[in-house]
Amino acid sequence: MSAQTTSMRDALYEAPGPKTRRRILIGTVIAGILVCLLVFLVVRQFYVTGQLSPKYWSFFTRPTTWRFLWDGFLGTLKVAAVAGAISLVLGLVLMLCRTSHLKALNVPARIVIEFFRGVPSLLLVYFFFLVVPQYGIKMSSFWMITLPVGLAASGVLAEVFRAGVNAVPKGQVEAAMSLGMRPSKITFKIVLPQAIRFVIPSLISQFVVVVKDTTVAYVVSYPDLLQNARVLISNYDALVSTYFVIAVIYIIVNYLINRAAVTVSRRTGVKIIK
Amino acid sequence: MGISELWATYGGMYLQALLTTWAMTAVSYVIAMALAVLITVMRVCPIRPLRVLGDFYVQVFRNIAGICLLIIIVYALPNLGLTLPYRTCVIVATVLLVSAFGSENFMSGINTIGIGQIEAARSIGLGFSQTLRLVVIPQALRSAVLPMTNLAIACLLTTAIGSQVPLSPPELTGLVSYINTRTTGGIATFLISALGYVGTALVIGFVGNRIDRKVRILR
Repeated sequence: MSAQTTSMRDALYEAPGPKTRRRILIGTVIAGILVCLLVFLVVRQFYVTGQLSPKYWSFFTRPTTWRFLWDGFLGTLKVAAVAGAISLVLGLVLMLCRTSHLKALNVPARIVIEFFRGVPSLLLVYFFFLVVPQYGIKMSSFWMITLPVGLAASGVLAEVFRAGVNAVPKGQVEAAMSLGMRPSKITFKIVLPQAIRFVIPSLISQFVVVVKDTTVAYVVSYPDLLQNARVLISNYDALVSTYFVIAVIYIIVNYLINRAAVTVSRRTGVKIIK
Repeated sequence: MGISELWATYGGMYLQALLTTWAMTAVSYVIAMALAVLITVMRVCPIRPLRVLGDFYVQVFRNIAGICLLIIIVYALPNLGLTLPYRTCVIVATVLLVSAFGSENFMSGINTIGIGQIEAARSIGLGFSQTLRLVVIPQALRSAVLPMTNLAIACLLTTAIGSQVPLSPPELTGLVSYINTRTTGGIATFLISALGYVGTALVIGFVGNRIDRKVRILR
């Protein structure tokens, strides 16, 4: 995307003449100074409030800290992977029901999809955390976070899969019908294999949403990255530095997933559906 | 607890929660859109530091998790000498997240126009501001309607992070946790809130689709 973006950005302007070039240069210098000033002010604020003092940062040199955070990260990965798997399967099933010609299947599927797309995952988490136990159903904290995250993502994935199915040329389905293939066979042999290939980049970028949703794991006190960070904070009394590091970790991980989606999308020539 | 009893006890709070959610969504969305325009202008302007700053802003806030950002704003910023009221914290977090995605939508709106049109505009003698005003912005806005509708729904859902701080009155998600930590409210407590979200999302989606059908450019 970025290559195209840059060219489009640059296409907006004519090649600048000497006067404009000077003006751009002056603007660049001023903006550069302002940005540096902004960074300086932020760092100064850290310094003035004493947040740069070594006692807040030194424990990050200890391997135990990182091992603990790594455990949390594994917890995050475990939840995200299982929730992702749930949402893949459920999303596919929902999409198949949604595109079926049977009213008995496609109306309920529509309702379920709209429901999961229209409800915040946090509300679903509270449902599994506070409401479900009232009916005597006991769940581990792992499932209390994994199920709602997976369910919330399945509604979105169903729509992503549907977009993939719609991208398969109609002529292929017609050709298969004229060969006398049964509808189920057409779906599974002709449409789905291509549709799934169309949506792979979008699935990868949806995984970012799943990873983000797992951060509410501390509500059910499942030891994920954020929950373990909170433990660190209460141990070392270093709130700002720990949250800073955790935020950077999340940003880098999600950035890498997004990059992977863009790379796959460019390599296969398939657009990312948002 | 039956649904009638639940409604008799907490009905007023549900209405208030719905209004809180709506208010936070509307305020955040409007501010976020204004900010998204600003960020997008920064990202396409010829001044390099501003471009880099704009890109950095978008990468940070589209990749950070909402809860993580909110916690930082609520608990870490006071240590740095900035304490905001809880409601403002939720709105600030939502604005930062939504504006990053909004800027992405504007950028892809600009990208769909194609270099050829800009070259064409220049060859018939339009200047830079004319090209922007007559060719780029109208088309970018039109093709951004549907993504921005989805973003409005995402904004609505993002305000649910408000349940993680003591808001008074609580918003829809926080109210479910408020009621269920006091009584056994059952599935109805959850369904009423869910209905509030889904209903609002459907209305936003409906309005967005209507606007999109009117202004869409068929390519």
